[in-house]
Amino acid sequence: MKIYPYKRLNRPVALRVTSVSLKLSDGTRDQLETTAYSTQQQSVALGIAGHIDWVSATIGLSATLPPGANAPDAAWSDLSVLAVLTDGETNVRTSADLTLDAEGGRDWSGSLEVLRDDHLGRASLAVYAVGTVDGVRGRSIAETDRSWIVDTVSDEPVRGLQLDVQTASFKRSSREWLQAYADAPWIVDASARVPTVFVNTDVEGVIGLLDSNGSGVDSKVRDLLVAQMATDVWTAVFHGAIGDLEVEPGGAPVFPTDWQGEVLREMLPDVFPGVHVEEALRQVHRRRTGESGWVELQTRIHYAAVRRADAAKALAYVIRSLEQMNRESET
Amino acid sequence: MITQPNHVPERLALLATSAVDPFLTEELLRGEQVHGGIDLAKVVEPLPEDDARWWVEPIRSLVEDAMFEFREDRTRADAWLAPRLHATLRLTRREAADKRLWNHLALAVAPDYVVWRHLSEPTVKKPERRVAAERFRGPADRQCFSRLWWAAELFRNGADYEPVEAACGNQDLIHSVLKKEMIDHRPTAQAMIRLLKSGLVTTGREVDGLSVAINAAGATLIYDILGQDRPRDPVHLRDWIAEAESAPPVERYELPKGPDEDPVPEEAVAALTSYFAELFETAPVRGRKPGD
Repeated sequence: MKIYPYKRLNRPVALRVTSVSLKLSDGTRDQLETTAYSTQQQSVALGIAGHIDWVSATIGLSATLPPGANAPDAAWSDLSVLAVLTDGETNVRTSADLTLDAEGGRDWSGSLEVLRDDHLGRASLAVYAVGTVDGVRGRSIAETDRSWIVDTVSDEPVRGLQLDVQTASFKRSSREWLQAYADAPWIVDASARVPTVFVNTDVEGVIGLLDSNGSGVDSKVRDLLVAQMATDVWTAVFHGAIGDLEVEPGGAPVFPTDWQGEVLREMLPDVFPGVHVEEALRQVHRRRTGESGWVELQTRIHYAAVRRADAAKALAYVIRSLEQMNRESET
Repeated sequence: MITQPNHVPERLALLATSAVDPFLTEELLRGEQVHGGIDLAKVVEPLPEDDARWWVEPIRSLVEDAMFEFREDRTRADAWLAPRLHATLRLTRREAADKRLWNHLALAVAPDYVVWRHLSEPTVKKPERRVAAERFRGPADRQCFSRLWWAAELFRNGADYEPVEAACGNQDLIHSVLKKEMIDHRPTAQAMIRLLKSGLVTTGREVDGLSVAINAAGATLIYDILGQDRPRDPVHLRDWIAEAESAPPVERYELPKGPDEDPVPEEAVAALTSYFAELFETAPVRGRKPGD
């Protein structure tokens, strides 16, 4: 827990997205359906209507400050509420002032502009309540505990980072570098903008299997295959991110500001359970660059990847399907 | 020292990081030999043909001028090249965040510049001269060209590149501050430049001390309130990009002009500058004695 040298509110600000509209390049506006955002996932998907020519998005916001924010004997004055959008990939930071809905209330609302040209993938959105405390202006007295994610590409408001699956004939692909992997069923590219699996269509029937849906064994096998690929991806991404860590002058590693950081934050609690993610990152970095302990850590990294890929669930379903199939053939 | 590849493409393209390795040879990293260019051209993804921004010639000519002009002192090339690269290669941040573009620029278009600028000086510990691979393909604040472009983007004040020159003239500043989130706030970036230009902060240790102090205070302070920026209108940047087709080569002696965006509000920069100056007075700086 952080210690603050001034009085603050203990509870977080609650943030909701109330509307999303896109301004298109011909000057018209498209008000997006409510399915463009999810309060439960705390995410907004600006790609949902399929527009690729939008110029900016206006996101309507409503924030509720915790109790005590407007108490008459509060330690702060000049209360203001600020929505801040940040994107580590494009170094964008934009902010918007929210306004108080009703005198004496704790609800604030307003809107934030997201410019298409300013983002490649995902940005995060936080709200700060700011006031003057003990004569010091600009003190943050409460904030959202988890940022919302604004995905400028995705067509589904989900929080977790999705992998990109691409199919190609490795032998004949225009991406010539794939030819070197012609005898592999799939390979993982952790250096692309989002983690990507290339599936080799030279393996006959693999596309049919991957496209299978319904309740048959095929689709269960497909899920298991996808889980296996995902395990490979998250393992590769984890190693890639740890190998590229920026180190502060004092030797402390810094979280990457892009999706790699997102993945590390999700996986580290499984690699080093029970410690804060910042500490977990330091320990992993020390193990990798230090004299020992890196090999021992591989099991934990693999475990974190397996969990993130939902491999256990996929395996259980395949086994059940096989059991059912065997039972049916016996009777 | 190497020269440009035999085959230099006419247009910029995208080169995936996973396709880079065969061309990033030991010989290249030691500055001894470069690939021929033909094989590399086979693995790139092309950019739209109707866009004049992707012509390679203006960039090639810029880096050649830089190598000539700063042959005696190559680190000074950064301050010259950053604004001119930015004004030549007119990109949105969305486009600039694509590392494949920078990979292509460094490996296919101007590997000779990367080697010229970043080949290490021999030292007792490391007598062998070498370029770090991250200068060809690496994080945005390390890669040879993307670091310059982003420095120009983050430190320009609207159309004015003068602060960029100041920022890139101080290696410590672009080396350590470019990756920090705090300069994503325009008034903060401008206030830092003002402290640099006033001479209050100059050495690497002082720049470090200042940025650590700003970061630490920023844990409880919201600088957006202390120095309010104005909202940006995306039209100006789009117009500037559209003008790329008819734009003449960038000025070599004068500073070029950037996109016609509003500068950072003066009162915001002034407020943060005096606030940071106060912070810096009490900040721990290695090697500085209290009362200095």
